[in-house]
Amino acid sequence: MNQHPHGWGRPRDDVYGAYDSSYLNSTQPVTHTQRPIVTGTSVLGVKFQDGVIIAADNIASYGSLARYDNVERLLQVGTHTVVGAGGDMSDMQYLHLLLDNLLIKEQYPADDHHLHAPQVHSYISRVLYQRRNKFDPLWNSILTAGADPNTSEPFLSYVDLRGTTFSAPALATGFGAHLAVPILRRHVPDEAAVKDLTREDAEKLVDECMKVLWYRDARSGVTYSWSVITKEGVETGSKKIENQSWKFAEMIKGYGAQNI
Amino acid sequence: MASSYLLPHAQHAPHAHPTASSQPRQHHWSPYTENGGVILGIAGKDYVIIAGDTRSSEGYNINTRTARKIFQLGSGIILGVVGMSADGEELARKVARKIDDYKRNHDKHITVSAAAVMLSRTLYQKRFFPYYCQPLLGGLDENGVGAIYTYDYVGSFEREQSRAFGSAAALITPFLDNQINLKNQFVPGSNGEEPRTPGDMPRDLVEKIVKDAFSSAVERQIEVGDGLQMVTVTRAPPRAEEEEATVEDDDEWTGSTISETLSPLKQD
Amino acid sequence: MRHSPRGGVGRTSVSDDAQFHPPQALFAISTTSIHPPVDPASASYLQISPRIQAGPHIKSTMSNPFTLNGGACLAMTGKDCVAIACDLRLGQQALTLSNNFPKVFNYGDVWLGLTGLATDVQTIHSLFRYKVNLYRLREEREIEPETMANLVSSTLYERRFGPYYVSPVVAGINQRTGKPFICGFDSIGCIDFAKDFIVSGTASDQLFGVAEGLWEPDLEADELFETISQTLLNSLDRDALAGWGAHVYIIKKDSVTKRLLRTRQD
Repeated sequence: MNQHPHGWGRPRDDVYGAYDSSYLNSTQPVTHTQRPIVTGTSVLGVKFQDGVIIAADNIASYGSLARYDNVERLLQVGTHTVVGAGGDMSDMQYLHLLLDNLLIKEQYPADDHHLHAPQVHSYISRVLYQRRNKFDPLWNSILTAGADPNTSEPFLSYVDLRGTTFSAPALATGFGAHLAVPILRRHVPDEAAVKDLTREDAEKLVDECMKVLWYRDARSGVTYSWSVITKEGVETGSKKIENQSWKFAEMIKGYGAQNI
Repeated sequence: MASSYLLPHAQHAPHAHPTASSQPRQHHWSPYTENGGVILGIAGKDYVIIAGDTRSSEGYNINTRTARKIFQLGSGIILGVVGMSADGEELARKVARKIDDYKRNHDKHITVSAAAVMLSRTLYQKRFFPYYCQPLLGGLDENGVGAIYTYDYVGSFEREQSRAFGSAAALITPFLDNQINLKNQFVPGSNGEEPRTPGDMPRDLVEKIVKDAFSSAVERQIEVGDGLQMVTVTRAPPRAEEEEATVEDDDEWTGSTISETLSPLKQD
Repeated sequence: MRHSPRGGVGRTSVSDDAQFHPPQALFAISTTSIHPPVDPASASYLQISPRIQAGPHIKSTMSNPFTLNGGACLAMTGKDCVAIACDLRLGQQALTLSNNFPKVFNYGDVWLGLTGLATDVQTIHSLFRYKVNLYRLREEREIEPETMANLVSSTLYERRFGPYYVSPVVAGINQRTGKPFICGFDSIGCIDFAKDFIVSGTASDQLFGVAEGLWEPDLEADELFETISQTLLNSLDRDALAGWGAHVYIIKKDSVTKRLLRTRQD
C-alpha cells in the first residue's frame, strides 16, 4: 500500500509498477456483467392436479469445476411461492435479497394482502428486464412456481436474463430445456393433461428427469432440493439420486478406460 | 506469479489495465433474442382481424405452445407483435397504459389514428436501443371502417389493408396479395385486360383464408405452429333504447366488439 | 378450403415490402476478464439465438453466389401431367441486365430448371446437354426423368468441395410408365423427391408459401397451368431479384405446351 498522502490507498509503484490511470478517461462505456462466474445448472418445474413441483440440484460450478456442493437454489417467497434459479449464483443471491426486502415491505401495511406466485414472477421479470435494458443483466434463468391458496390453481412461469417470459405445464431452464422438457411434455403436453397428473406421478416424473440430468449434464449434482406447492402451502425436501446404473458408460468408446 | 489460468492476459504488457488495452472482447452479450412466430392483419369494411400463431421459440427450442402475440389495449384497439417477446409485451403494456391515460385525461376513447401516431412515437423514443419487434395495430376508424397500421422497429408507419409480419411473412405475403387483394387475377373473359377488384370481402371468407395462410406457413416454417389466435374487432350492435343512458355505462362504450378465438395448428 | 385462382394472367401493381433488421453492432463493449472460461456447453443460458449472432440472416447478394443474379423456378405435379416454370430475369445484384434469360431447359423427355449463379446455370446446361446426348447415343433411347435425377445428383456431387452454385429442378413424364415425376436438388446433389411441388431460387420462400396454399392433388392440365402461373407470378411480385417475364411448360405424356407469361416489368 502506498502510504504517501497523495497516493493513499493506491498500489505501490515500486511493487506493482506505475499505476495505469488511462481507464479513468476512457471513452469506453462502463462494462458490466459479461458472463456468469459461479453457475447453477437446470431447474425443473411441473404442474399437477392440485399444485406444482419444482426441483434444482445443489451444485454451483466455477467453469467446469464443481466449486460448491451444498447450494440452495430454491427460495420460498411468502407462503405459496418458490423461486428456483439457474445461472450466476451471485446474481441469484442478490435477487434473493431483493425478494426478502420486497416481502418485508409488503408486510408493513398488514392489510391481509399477500404476494403470490404471479406477483412474484411479475416482479422478478420486471427486475430482469430493467437490468437487460441497462446492459447490466442478472445472468439467470428463473422458474417461479406457486399455487393459489384458495383455488389451488397451479402457477409456473419462466423468466431469463433478457426478460423473456413464458408459461407452460412443464418448464425447465438450462440443460433441462433440452433433456427434461421432452420427457415432461410426454406426460403433460397441455393444460388439460395437468388435471390427470397426480402428485405421486409428478414427483416420480421429476425424479426421473433429475436422474437423466445427473447422467448427461456434466454440471449437475447427485443431491437436489425439491418443493411441492399446493393450496396448503410449501413442502420442501432434499433428495439423492438413487438406483444409479452406469452400465451405459461401458458402451461409450473413446473417453473411458477401454483399450479400444 | 499467479497461474496463467487465473490471469489469461498476463502474457501481455504487465500492469496494463484491462480496459485500457484494445483487445477483442472475450464474450459478447446481446440484449436481443428472437422468439419466432408470425402475425397477420386484415382490414375489412367494418371489421379488423389480427391473427397470430401461439408458438414461442428460441433457436431450436420451443419455449411454449400457448404464447399469445395479440393484445387488447382497450378503447377497441388491438396490437399484434412479433420478434422479441419481452420487448413486444413491454410495448403492449406501455401502449395499453397510455391508451388508459388518454381516456382518463380526455374523458373519451382514443381514435385508432391517434393511437397509431402514439405508437409510432413510443417506438421512436427508443430509436437508439429499439424494441426488437414488429407491431401491427388494429381497430375501427372514426367511420367504423377497419384499419390496420403497420410499423418498422423504430416507428415508421402507414395504414394498410393487409400485412403479414414475422418469420413466415415472406410465405404469407404473396398468398395474401393473391387471395385478399386479388393480385394477378382478371375478370374471366376479359382476356387479361380487366383486373378483378378487391371489393368488400365477407368476414367468414377472410377468416378461412387466414386459417389457410397459417396452415400453409406451418408446413414450411419451423418457428410457426401449435395454435392460432385470431382477434377480431367489429362494430358493436346498436344498443336498444332502454340500454341507453347512464354515464357509467357510457364509460365502457367504445362502439367496438372484440372477439378472440383459439384454434389448433400442427405441433411438429 | 380451395383457393381457385380465377381469370387470366397478367399485370397489376403492388406496393413495396420493406423490412428492417435491428442494428447489430450498436453495443460493442470491450472488456477482458480474469475469470476462467465458462464451458459454453455447461451453460445453455449463455447461448443466444444463432440468428442474432449471425446478424441479418440473409446473406448479402454480394457474397452469396446463389442470389447474385436472381431468378426463380417452380415445378408441380398434376393428374397425368407436370408443369415447370421459371422467370426470365438476369441481374447483377439490383441491376437488371436481361429480361430474356430462361432457366428451364429441355433434354428429350426431361425438363431441367436451374437457378443460382448464371455462369453455372449455363455451364451446367451445356454439360447436361453433352451428357444426355452421349446417353442417347449409347442407349439409343431418351433418358427418363428418374435417370436424369440421378445423373444430376451424381454430377453435382462430383464437385462436392467446390460446388456449382445452382439449385436444380427436374420435371418430366416417364414415357414408359406414364407417371409424372418431379424432384429438386441442393447444390451438391441431395435429391428431394416431392409428390407435390418443388421450388428454387431467390423467391423460394414466397413460392413455398403460395404453392402450399394453392396446390392440390390431381389437377387437370389447365388447372395446373393456372395454379403454377398464379403461384409463380404472385411470388415474383414479392421478390426484387426475380420476375420480368416467365416461361411455363405444361407437360402431358404426348404433348407439351410452352407459354410466355406477361408480368410486371419492375
